[in-house]
Amino acid sequence: MTITRLSTFLLMATALDSTARAAESIETLLARTPHKLICEGYANNNWELFIMNADGSKLRNLTNTADSHEIYPQASPDGSMIAFLSDVGAGRTTVRSLWVMDVTGENRRKISDYARQPFWSPDSKTLAYLPQEFKKFSVIDYSTKGMVFHNLETGKDRPHPNSGKIHHLYNPGFSPDGKWIVATVHSGMGLGHGTLLIEADGKRIVNLKTGGCRPTFSPSGKFLAWGPGDHEIKVVEFDRAGDLPALGKTRLQIFHKKDKIYHVDWCPNEQFLTISQGKPGKGNPAMPGTYEAASEIVGVHADGWNIVAIAIGDGGTVDLQNPPAGRVLQLTNDGRSYKESEWISVKQ
Amino acid sequence: MTTIRSTLLLLPALVLLNSCKSDSSGSGTDTRGPIQITTSSGVPMIHLAGGNFTMGSDKESADEKPAHEVRISAFLIDAHEVTHEMFAKAELPNPSHWQEHPQMPVEQVRWRDARRYCNERSLMEELTPCYDESKPGWPCDFDTNGYRLPTEAEWEFACRAGGSGRYGFGDTGKLKQYAWFDANSGERTHPAGSRKPNAWGIFDMYGNVSEWCEDIYAPDYYAKNSSDDPVGPVATGAMSDKRVMRGGNWKSSADMCRATFRKGQITGDSDACFNTDYCGFRCVRRVSPKELKALQGATSGTN
Repeated sequence: MTITRLSTFLLMATALDSTARAAESIETLLARTPHKLICEGYANNNWELFIMNADGSKLRNLTNTADSHEIYPQASPDGSMIAFLSDVGAGRTTVRSLWVMDVTGENRRKISDYARQPFWSPDSKTLAYLPQEFKKFSVIDYSTKGMVFHNLETGKDRPHPNSGKIHHLYNPGFSPDGKWIVATVHSGMGLGHGTLLIEADGKRIVNLKTGGCRPTFSPSGKFLAWGPGDHEIKVVEFDRAGDLPALGKTRLQIFHKKDKIYHVDWCPNEQFLTISQGKPGKGNPAMPGTYEAASEIVGVHADGWNIVAIAIGDGGTVDLQNPPAGRVLQLTNDGRSYKESEWISVKQ
Repeated sequence: MTTIRSTLLLLPALVLLNSCKSDSSGSGTDTRGPIQITTSSGVPMIHLAGGNFTMGSDKESADEKPAHEVRISAFLIDAHEVTHEMFAKAELPNPSHWQEHPQMPVEQVRWRDARRYCNERSLMEELTPCYDESKPGWPCDFDTNGYRLPTEAEWEFACRAGGSGRYGFGDTGKLKQYAWFDANSGERTHPAGSRKPNAWGIFDMYGNVSEWCEDIYAPDYYAKNSSDDPVGPVATGAMSDKRVMRGGNWKSSADMCRATFRKGQITGDSDACFNTDYCGFRCVRRVSPKELKALQGATSGTN
């Protein structure tokens, strides 16, 4: 077979495979996906981390701790570890700490007190985080100042080269090539609000001027997803061709006119997104470990919120109130304030 | 400390006001003038002895009608809008868009965040917080001695400073001397206290940032509100999502900077990315005559 004929054959095979996959429902596709999901949820007056299969089956409480509230799980890219936050105490004296554990839930160890928003380097060797701005607790998500890189092998911390300028970031994440960190800024660094690209080992900062919040790179680095508003998730191409990266064409737009949709995350195979979905609200501060603020904020009880998966397919628009057949699947159903879903890579 | 210095310069005028009737220019009937004190956390405040005044206007927008008589009890009110420096002292994340000057007023403040600041300041000064943070909606106990947001009646009483009409100082032509608004702000906030104060020594009531009040906003509230220390309508469902915002701001027209202008503003309490960069506030609190005397003594002792 000549190279041309081989290429033609491969292209046809790929196209046929795509057609076959498009015909399959999201339930079928997710059931075949080996990767797992972890998210925060509220059960028995306590925040816990819940793990499940990609299709939502075998949901179980991974942490089971009555004396601390576990929230904001972040899986290492190699799928071996989970970083998370733990709240102990109540009200303004609550201490929020950063911990890490094996993906089995074992071998828990504390990294730092007064630490927030952990995120992993692509090689899974460094756990970065944002120090809390004040020791006095505030549930507000942007209550951070600076950025620290914690080397898990040596146990040593080093500040980001621009740490002195970094202020009020939240939801940071590395680009898959490790060169950039994308994050939302609110009321800091001279901006009222914005999405920033921060050079991982330098001082360059690019304002993507997108509005919205909580950006996250696709595993290939070709796309960026974020929430332009309370009711919308957008996926756009990420253009690295120029001197500075920029956003390109829109690939996918997901919306729900009534419910809030937040916390988008990518399946490692880049075929699915998961989000948290639920009614707008302010939480209930009378419940232990919870605070009154916007439902989407970590530590705020969000009654009725669930995790939903969306097949990326050919992109386009997905109206969650009238979803296209076979493209949307609700993964959790009992609405126990499930938020901040995070995919765990599982090697086959 | 530009703002504190500017307030201290006013002290002789305020002492003079203490011996004068405050209703010379309009509807106020109280004869006791304002007294400036400095709180234990270093914040300049003005004590207003309370009294009767005409709230609202029959000549302006529908929600400002009818003009009606209201009686206000004595209270302390911040001489300035809450600044970045004050927010940082309370160890709260500053939500503001513009943060380059510590004396600029905070903005992008959700209604709940303003109330949280009030509680923090109460705790700093060993007062009893007004807001119960353990209950949904953080109900306000008006009977404690802690800080809270002003009712809109208290706000208008303080803004008018015994005057009547659209502005306590007289005609619209003088507004630039008293307020940062769209005609002079350069589309941004400015350090608190950098315009003239009103007749009772209170700065920036007409501009810079608009100010949260405690009350739920209801356009028809004036037709049925209480005449004694009104606190706004009772919360019912989504109604409580809009609270009263008073005073003009850096982007307001002169017409919106009036003493009686009312706005129902979404609180932002269920919005994680609240970025309405004209929403600020100032605090008030009740004080007993005995405590006022002690505060006066402490203030004169430090001057």
